[in-house]
Amino acid sequence: MASRSSKSQGLVGFGLYAYLALTLLFPIIVIALWAFYDPKVGWFPPDIIPRSFSLSAWREVLADRNIWPSAMLSLFVSIVVTVLTGALAFPTAWALAQFPFRLKRAVEIFILAPVIVPGIVVAISLGEIFFRFGLFGTVLGVILVQLIGTLPFMIRILTATLEGIPNELIYAARTLGASPRVAVLCIALPLAWPGFAAGGLLTFIASFEEFEKSFMVGAPKVQTLAVRLWSYLGGDILVLPTAAVVTFILLTPMLVIFILAERLSKDDVMAAGLGKL
Amino acid sequence: MNPTKVNTLTLLLCLLPGVGYLLVFFGLPLVTVVFGSFTSRAPGASPITLDTWITLFSSPVYLDGLWFSLWLGIAPTAVSLLVSLPLSALMQANETSQKLFGTLYRIPLVVPGVVAGFLVLVILDRGGMASRLLMPLGIPMPRLVRDDWGVGAIIASSWKTIPFMTLIIAGAMAAISKDILAAARTLGANRLTVLWRIQLPLAQPGITAAVLLSFIGSLGSYVIPSLLGPAYPLPLSVHMFAEGFQKGNWPMVYAMGTLLSVLAIAVLLAYYAIVGSFSRGSAALTARS
Repeated sequence: MASRSSKSQGLVGFGLYAYLALTLLFPIIVIALWAFYDPKVGWFPPDIIPRSFSLSAWREVLADRNIWPSAMLSLFVSIVVTVLTGALAFPTAWALAQFPFRLKRAVEIFILAPVIVPGIVVAISLGEIFFRFGLFGTVLGVILVQLIGTLPFMIRILTATLEGIPNELIYAARTLGASPRVAVLCIALPLAWPGFAAGGLLTFIASFEEFEKSFMVGAPKVQTLAVRLWSYLGGDILVLPTAAVVTFILLTPMLVIFILAERLSKDDVMAAGLGKL
Repeated sequence: MNPTKVNTLTLLLCLLPGVGYLLVFFGLPLVTVVFGSFTSRAPGASPITLDTWITLFSSPVYLDGLWFSLWLGIAPTAVSLLVSLPLSALMQANETSQKLFGTLYRIPLVVPGVVAGFLVLVILDRGGMASRLLMPLGIPMPRLVRDDWGVGAIIASSWKTIPFMTLIIAGAMAAISKDILAAARTLGANRLTVLWRIQLPLAQPGITAAVLLSFIGSLGSYVIPSLLGPAYPLPLSVHMFAEGFQKGNWPMVYAMGTLLSVLAIAVLLAYYAIVGSFSRGSAALTARS
């Protein structure tokens, strides 16, 4: 019985990792081959592995004056979006978690609405509105449009975190003479740290990889990394090696943050933020 | 202090940053979209008109776009569900691999859609890795990128939505008490019966939510179909971009945007109808997480 069970366990494990190898490892290897092949020798079918390797695509990308500004811009936009999302979401989440009021369900549904309505619809319309106000093609415009997508999740995650804080702690602080504002800032805000950490990482990732909304509002002037990668792929000439290198540059910080996020957050915040409507 | 009595002003001030922001930057554009679809900018025409809608629903190009948008929403959702359900169930069955696998399978969640499209391009396009690997075996590679059915786009979308669905469904399944599963097994149910009669019904709210969110996500996607999809038909999202920024036909952009939003909201309402009344649905889902 025990051996049969361990055998089936092994089979299940094999199935899971075979899935990973096919959908994750295999594509990464192919991209790596493209990033390191030697364009002078070429890599044509039916060769499965390039005949020689070189770093020329990397040299080309790293020498490209546009890549570093794009990377810095992506980093800057993501940090600003993360900070702003946290700052805007906290008071609203506090109200949703602590105050009973009529229309609460309506407010909750409205906050969920940006997740339901396709992002491209709002972004394209906002692009036209921004055009009239001179915000089209500006970094500020891109930050503003990204906040629409990140706020709902942050509010949901923070609300769930704040609901978990025992009311007694707030009451104790109030009894001991803290004003409501001090009680919120000194008790609730620090206790909401896990929510900020989880929501912040989620926001940062979402902002860093965001393409469609940024593209509708910022292109072609504001070139974040994702938008630049698009210009390598969807442009007139398909630059596969360059795109492969940019893919790696784009993925590395994502994966670092991703693994950090896994370590930091015990609860499944993403499931908590998305699994209920 | 009576906690139920809160100063209305305090409440509004607290709600203002988040809700106010969404009202201005989400609500306003959405209202612009809906009303804009009934306006005309042509000189001499009446300012309020149904012309755009009539054009939208009488043009075969746009109608094909509508069906193709729906197809690109439904097909990846169906594919993802077929993969996610077994994946979620296998994850419950094997606890030792849960930790590492549970981290790694989510990686596509943080991979931009542009990159997902690029992966499909280098593997499945003609001359791509798949055709090179199959060539020695004598298996011809069917056309999967820029094909009529959008198979390449469906694969790329599914690649992104499978981890998303698995995350939610596995979360729902993990929340089921182990005692229930053990009880069923003791009473003679085999693993498949447990999955079919216990795990799936109990995880159903999570599954429905995952299906809904994945459909909506794929419905409006722009980058994957424009990279991997066929030249005809184009989904509404791609039409919208071309109509707006290339032709300046904004009423048509707004009409298509309204249509996509209405479709998404209709699916949400159907979801609420399936799960039950508003409150019952939210209670069931809240209790789960």
